[in-house]
Amino acid sequence: MAEDYQMLEELGSGSFGTVYRALCKRTGETVAIKHIDLEGSDDDIREIQQEISLLSTCSSEYVTRYRNSFVRGTKLWIVMEYLGGGSCLDLLKPGPMAEAYIAIIMRELLLGLDYLHSTGKIHRDIKAANILLSETGQVKIADFGVAAQLTNIKSQRLTFVGTPFWMAPEVIQEAGYDFHADIWSLGITAMEMAMGEPPRSDVHPMKVLFLIPKEKPPRLEGGKWSKEFKDFVALCLNKDAERRPSARALLKHGFVRRAGKTDILQHLVRKARDYESGGSRRDSDVRYYEETLREMSSADEGDEWIFDTIRPSSAKGTVKKLASAQHTVKRRKLERIPSGDGSDVEGAAAALEDMKLDAGPLGDIANSSNTTPTKDLSTIRTPKPRLSSQRKVSALTIRKISISSPTARRVSRKVSGGTPTARKISAQQPKQPLGLDMSFGNGTSTVRQFKRVSSGHQQPQQQPQLKPSSPPQQTAASTSPQDSVFDSDSENKPPAPPTSAPSQQTQTTKEALLGRRCFVKCIDPSFAEGQAATADRQKREALSRVAEAWSYLDEVDPEGELILLKTIMDRIQSDPKLASALLPQRVAAAQLASLRMNSPSKKRTSTMGVEAGEVGARDMTPPTSPSKPARRQPTDRSSILSSAPSSPTKPSGSPGKLVMNPQNPHLRRMRSNQQLAAEKAVEEREKERTVMEEKMPGRVEPGMEHVGMLGDVLYGRWSEGLQARWPKA
Amino acid sequence: MAFLFGRNRQRTAQDMVRTVKELLLRLPKEEGASSKTEEELSRNLTQMKATLQGTPEVEVAPDAVTQLVHHILAESLLPILVDNIHRLPFEARKDTQTIISNVFRFRNPGSTSPEPDALKEVLRQQPEIIIALCNGYDRRESAGACGGILKEALKWDAVAAVILYDEPSPTGKTIDIYNDVDVTAPSTGKGIFWSFFTWIDTSSFEVSADAFDCFRLLLTKHKQLVSQYISTNFPLFFDKYNSILIKSDSYVTKRQSLKLLGEVLLDRQFYEVMTRYVDSGENLKLIMYQLKDDRRMVQYEAFHVFKIFAANPNKSFEVQKFLVMNKQRLLKFLPRFLEERTEDEQFCDEKAWLVKAVGGLPDSVAALRPPEGRVGGGGSGGGGMPAQQQQASSAQVRS
Repeated sequence: MAEDYQMLEELGSGSFGTVYRALCKRTGETVAIKHIDLEGSDDDIREIQQEISLLSTCSSEYVTRYRNSFVRGTKLWIVMEYLGGGSCLDLLKPGPMAEAYIAIIMRELLLGLDYLHSTGKIHRDIKAANILLSETGQVKIADFGVAAQLTNIKSQRLTFVGTPFWMAPEVIQEAGYDFHADIWSLGITAMEMAMGEPPRSDVHPMKVLFLIPKEKPPRLEGGKWSKEFKDFVALCLNKDAERRPSARALLKHGFVRRAGKTDILQHLVRKARDYESGGSRRDSDVRYYEETLREMSSADEGDEWIFDTIRPSSAKGTVKKLASAQHTVKRRKLERIPSGDGSDVEGAAAALEDMKLDAGPLGDIANSSNTTPTKDLSTIRTPKPRLSSQRKVSALTIRKISISSPTARRVSRKVSGGTPTARKISAQQPKQPLGLDMSFGNGTSTVRQFKRVSSGHQQPQQQPQLKPSSPPQQTAASTSPQDSVFDSDSENKPPAPPTSAPSQQTQTTKEALLGRRCFVKCIDPSFAEGQAATADRQKREALSRVAEAWSYLDEVDPEGELILLKTIMDRIQSDPKLASALLPQRVAAAQLASLRMNSPSKKRTSTMGVEAGEVGARDMTPPTSPSKPARRQPTDRSSILSSAPSSPTKPSGSPGKLVMNPQNPHLRRMRSNQQLAAEKAVEEREKERTVMEEKMPGRVEPGMEHVGMLGDVLYGRWSEGLQARWPKA
Repeated sequence: MAFLFGRNRQRTAQDMVRTVKELLLRLPKEEGASSKTEEELSRNLTQMKATLQGTPEVEVAPDAVTQLVHHILAESLLPILVDNIHRLPFEARKDTQTIISNVFRFRNPGSTSPEPDALKEVLRQQPEIIIALCNGYDRRESAGACGGILKEALKWDAVAAVILYDEPSPTGKTIDIYNDVDVTAPSTGKGIFWSFFTWIDTSSFEVSADAFDCFRLLLTKHKQLVSQYISTNFPLFFDKYNSILIKSDSYVTKRQSLKLLGEVLLDRQFYEVMTRYVDSGENLKLIMYQLKDDRRMVQYEAFHVFKIFAANPNKSFEVQKFLVMNKQRLLKFLPRFLEERTEDEQFCDEKAWLVKAVGGLPDSVAALRPPEGRVGGGGSGGGGMPAQQQQASSAQVRS
């Protein structure tokens, strides 16, 4: 079925799904195919079926023709006729329409409505956006998402559906309505086309719902319109549904009787097209259909249920099975590691160093988890395989983006569809080790653009992996080679700015890396933001001088920069008044983070701790290009910075929240490093907390990455609770 | 005048029915270029429809309706109409659907029988119409119209009974549900009811979904009848349900049939069916595999069936064994199962409860003792459990 069509570019998308243009391979005919992901909602599939069955019982040249539908994977494909002229709403973009055009469209619509009504259907959502035109000017009614089929021609409906501005009073009042409701909507649509917007469009949609039944019906006024047009609209917009004429009766009205041929509408179509391409949005905006590969996840295969019992005392058999199962897991993981580090090219130096430091621990943990097969592995070891594969998820997401997705929008869509993305990970993983960096050689603006967005969107996925996870995972995750590789890599991805390029070689020590990171993640954006927030010219100048000086410091001595920062932080902290004023939440949060960091592997020195925190922090904040580009686009960057880590659910945050946002996990982590020493005493008491933490929300398994957002929210709440418990620490 | 008018209309109704009948009989013989016949047929059917249900402008005349229905039944028009529905042009198919539905709805004034009079007459005289309507699912052209008529007619127990108890007979006659139905006789599996599995499984999306909708209505609207039927044909029914629907390659079929299964099992009327179902280890296995499906909604629907197994206080040995063998896996698996469903409070509660319930199971199968007389597990249909004992379990599940 799906093979019969050659998918082309995207035509539009919405809550219902995405519509693509496609070619029918058999007939060579162009069609429009709507993809609805059935996994996307709990809604009964029957509702969508309803729409299809309604469409499939329509056969009229005034209604978009339905061809076929089938299921592919979890997506429902609905094949419809393709109408190249766009919707009436598109035609309104260059400006309101002339009356002559409206008369033609109205006549065609009335013919369509007459057909629908005579076959017992109410459309219930007539508006410009739902009226499509072919390239030759044919007018067709589309979108039967809320349409109703009446079993009896005299029956009425009560359901409250439609779009507020276009809804008839009797629909809003839920007193029972019939075909006449569509006639009201038609009248509103006529006004919409004449004026560019429906009446009362400046009012809030919810308020409109009160106004429509209460106030006088809208009227077309002014000398611009013919008497007949005004009369036509007035007939449609009669608040008494019974006295509203039927579609058939309206066809006899002078306004539509004198209307011209549909060919004339081609002018409108052309005008709208010129307008579109004049805005030069077309070319850059085209999105092509991209097949979503769906492969079976093999990650769980070691965890398959056991049902074969030979002996009644099958405990032994179980153990054996489990052991072998674990073995598979292990093998797969080993395969992955090389693929992980192979994916990095740019950040090689830093990555190698990290690997040297931490390859050991990772291996240990992995091995131990595989040798102890049974019950007790739940706390420490079970999360391990999950984590590794999850990290893969984020890595792969990036890879996918860089290779195949042409625009930012696509990226976000891909990423947000957490489950499907994750699903294809494990199998696909080892095959494309070097894919990651391929697309960044060009350094075009588009790339940079979607790069930025992708990192912002991707953030929520990574976050839960590190933040709310339990201590052993945490360390393992943050020190594992893939992770750091992936990370430094992503940071280096945007075209390297000149400032950081010469000093690249000095970035060899941890402190230098940290220092540079501080600058990129905190200092520089803070300055940029301060700059944006300061109106006074003198003050701005002062600020920019400091910024300049600091950026020089960063260039020359990142290590010193870190030490300086650290000292400042320490001092702020040691002064109780300053600490409570500047970092009230961070104190608690830091404590929390340290608690996570300290517990089981106590032999870890504080430096290790710092490093763990640091790498973690790197994960928390989206990779962005250092210094210069950032300063050029402060708002862009800061919004991403602030929104991505702190409130992943809302992709746009105000720039003002960037630095002072106490939820900024990066800052939290910085604090935690500072506090490590001070908190040794609390450590014992808090150790038991780690057990609790095991149960915290936000633990992510492959395929469940989107839980991360929720986990984040819950985590925030929890940390607030902690703060209340230990106000001083 | 009125007298003349009435006679005139009577003749018209009869003429109309006869004309349609003639045209229909001619239709299959004229392959291809029969546009004139089709046209005439369409016109007559549209007229018939208008008489039966009126138009937005013209009210129906009850008298005319009575006449027309009478003649339609007298001339046995319906079976021919149903048989030819796929040959009709597009709009005529929809008119036919309206006509048949209206006839099935027809009641004499003051009638008190459960089913509408005309439908009852049809079921007595020509029950094969129902079978023919079901067979409409064989073709994409007829599926929509036939399904539409069926789904409306399935309001009535009698129609459901015709579908359930249909058996192929040597005389080719369809069963008379008002007289010779033996509810204790097991089905041969060759009646029309069992064809639904095939239609759901093998048809295109549209037809399959419509057939499933009809199947669902059949199972859920006539609970008493259906629970009796499933109890009588338990192994056959679940053999087909599991192998064709639950194991279906189609995402939609799989998801919908899991959902339907959950609904049916949790219905009080299907209590006996439920206890037999959850006794079977094979059923449990199948559902546990669905929990691990890689599609969220399949997992979710499977969960609502799985919880019934776990909530049963009188689990069969086999079910206990499977649960115990997988205890650690379940305890690992369940807490992370569909974690994103934090908004769904009921689900979260049930999941938490389930974790507790599984945690309470013994650690090793050795601790389980096969109950007397049930050594070797519950098999696929124990069913002999005292009903009172079980009441508690179902209540728990439902609450």
